[in-house]
Amino acid sequence: MRFWTYSVNEYLFLIAAVFSGLLAVAIFCFLLFFGLPLLQSGQLADLLFSSWAPDKGLYGIYPMLIISLTLATLSMLISFPVSLGCSFVITSLAPVRLRRILLAIIRVMTGIPTVVYSFAALFLLVPIMRNLVGHGSGMSILTAAPVLALVIAPTMILFFVDSLNKVSSSFTLAVDALGGSEIQKLLYVILPLAWPGIVNGVLLGFGRAMGDTMVSLMLAGNSTAVPESMTESARTLTAHIALVMAFDFDSMEFKSIFVCGLFLYILTAALMLLFRMSTVYFSERT
Amino acid sequence: MEIPIKIRTQSLCFYYRRRQVLHDISLELPANQITAITGPSGSGKSTFLMVLNRLWEEVEGCAISGKVTMELDGHFNNIHDSTLSVRELRRKVAMVFQQPNPLPMSIYKNIAFPLRLAHINDKTRINEKVESALRQVCLWDEVKDRLGDDGRLLSGGQQQRLCLARALVLNPEVLLLDEPTSSLDPEASTAIEELLLTLKSQCTLIMVSHYQDQIQRIADLHIKVLNGRFSI
Amino acid sequence: MMEKLFEKSVVVLSWIAGLLLISSLLLLIAYLVYKGGSSLRLSLIFGDTAPIDALMLKRQVFDGLLPAIAGTLLLIIGSMLIAIPVGVAAGIYMAEYCRGTMKALLNLAFDILAGVPSIIVGLAGLLLTIFLNRKFQGQISTCLLISCFSLASLVLPYIIRTTQTALEAVDPIVRKTAPVLGASRLQNITMVLLPNSVSDIISGVILATGRCAEDTAVIMLTGAVATAGIPRSVFDQYEALPFYIYYISSQYTGPDELAQGFGAAIILLILCTGLLVSTLWIQRRLSTILLYR
Repeated sequence: MRFWTYSVNEYLFLIAAVFSGLLAVAIFCFLLFFGLPLLQSGQLADLLFSSWAPDKGLYGIYPMLIISLTLATLSMLISFPVSLGCSFVITSLAPVRLRRILLAIIRVMTGIPTVVYSFAALFLLVPIMRNLVGHGSGMSILTAAPVLALVIAPTMILFFVDSLNKVSSSFTLAVDALGGSEIQKLLYVILPLAWPGIVNGVLLGFGRAMGDTMVSLMLAGNSTAVPESMTESARTLTAHIALVMAFDFDSMEFKSIFVCGLFLYILTAALMLLFRMSTVYFSERT
Repeated sequence: MEIPIKIRTQSLCFYYRRRQVLHDISLELPANQITAITGPSGSGKSTFLMVLNRLWEEVEGCAISGKVTMELDGHFNNIHDSTLSVRELRRKVAMVFQQPNPLPMSIYKNIAFPLRLAHINDKTRINEKVESALRQVCLWDEVKDRLGDDGRLLSGGQQQRLCLARALVLNPEVLLLDEPTSSLDPEASTAIEELLLTLKSQCTLIMVSHYQDQIQRIADLHIKVLNGRFSI
Repeated sequence: MMEKLFEKSVVVLSWIAGLLLISSLLLLIAYLVYKGGSSLRLSLIFGDTAPIDALMLKRQVFDGLLPAIAGTLLLIIGSMLIAIPVGVAAGIYMAEYCRGTMKALLNLAFDILAGVPSIIVGLAGLLLTIFLNRKFQGQISTCLLISCFSLASLVLPYIIRTTQTALEAVDPIVRKTAPVLGASRLQNITMVLLPNSVSDIISGVILATGRCAEDTAVIMLTGAVATAGIPRSVFDQYEALPFYIYYISSQYTGPDELAQGFGAAIILLILCTGLLVSTLWIQRRLSTILLYR
């Protein structure tokens, strides 16, 4: 890294890279700067564990925290098996020509805007949920989870497909020569070898599910109480940020958003760190 | 005494990405003998082996024409006949690759793997077959105390013998060997060669080799390949 | 026996998963077309105003999507103008110059930036606005410029990563050719490596463009509003398609407006998937980890 030998153009590259890197830090700093008064006032425990009742002076984000985690987990529970199954079909089970078509379809699906999914689901799924449950608005975690699962599935599928395809052909040809079927090859040789990649994909998927705003904003209901069941209206951390921003910038409500923001930032940063570390760890082992 | 024919090809042609690799191969390979195939790199030797167990179908861009028949289970079959599934064929026509490729599992599981693929679940039977296969390749004494060790931890020569044992565990009628000793040291090579001679009684061996002296030592029939054309 | 059953059931379940996914997709698209197809007329875009007048900015469009479409296009252009130079330059730096601890740190920073939820990026943009507002005595508020900066931050990791990967994937032999002939490092990059990787970089840029077009969370906090007309300067508030769709979903006043919402959804869908299909067309290589998508 001989900085002193760089020409002007090369310094520009350096500046661009450092500037971009600092953006991540800058976002964190902004959140911290604005949220600090709240944190310092010693109300952190209250914020994290009490409910949201501004009229009572309670600005806890606990309900939203629970809902975000629940929604992300539920949508992963739906999306993971579906994505894994699709990746099996795309890498092994489907005839060769069909594989390419399916892969292209999945790739195009990654481009579909989440707001479009949510909009369609709002008018298609919510009335159905309302009828199924019998009461309420039809907007709930249960309504949002399948849609969120659909949103994160294409990315996870592509990630899984990539991991499965990376397994060395010396192993796959060996299984073929021994008379193994496609599914046997997948289950007993490819999957165990590709497992670290699969786990990484799950990490990424979970991070995306936690960070999604539009699906939960439009489909989960946005009530601030801790719901009794999954068929009741609920609000996630991300939806909370989107909804509260309209208020007075110096209010406590507004400041509670920063705690949401800080929490989400730290969570996703930790997930990405975990992701990067596990990638390095597993690539060193093979 | 006439030697029975195990494999017969008629006007076999092989194409890889529109380039013709094998030209009009018609020959007969004898049963229970070691047939060696030699030739320069890229002349089509390994490709020919892959035709015999239809492994070429797993690689994109390949096509063949012509006929390949094999005597299996007492009668001659066209190996592309729909009555014989590819998986069944590959259980009877086993292959050992140039680079040893133990699967990422224990020695025991490596050998038992083909049995598992064939849905053979009887534990005692599996134990017997694993031991007998390892004894056949003279590996049993070396590994009997560490059957749980990862197969990839063995030395090169041991790995190749492991792959050989794995190929033999289902009692194949034909054994295809793609330069089986080229990645091994002379001592390990000799061990493998001796092994191959003992296997003649139970199966037909088709071997690709680069080593003239090896062929002199163990081959019954020598086929030379040049630019995808075979000559005896 | 059990294993055979297990294997067969995994096959069946996998196919069911595939069918489930594809049918959900088809259901979605069919529903959108069914509900919004009827509204796909010129009046969807231009409202009561004559198209020529609207396009020449002689008259405002009140009932149509033109301001939203224009807003989205301006967003794309604005954020790409920032993100492409910075992203490609940073990618070049990461691939060609950066090593060791610095590389690890920057990699981590970009990973984190890629993983940060879009609403947080929007929130940061909002905070930036408040901060500037205080500094400049209430003259700055949320606007197109802030949104473009925020969106650029959002897509920067994509562009950096694709540029970096594309450059790193260049054949080592090709990489050594120019220096052997006396080229400087920079000349090697601009004359050999970049041209070599151009198709991948362009794919990454187009993907980033799609991301800018579809994002709602960032723009809703940094300047998108329900009615603003076509913005006259970067300091104006603006309309955008994704925000319009969101807004209409809860604020529609009748079946016509709702149909307009569906029409907007169709237009946005066509725009984003069109962008993506064009990357498929550009990209020859089939395996790329679309990590940050």
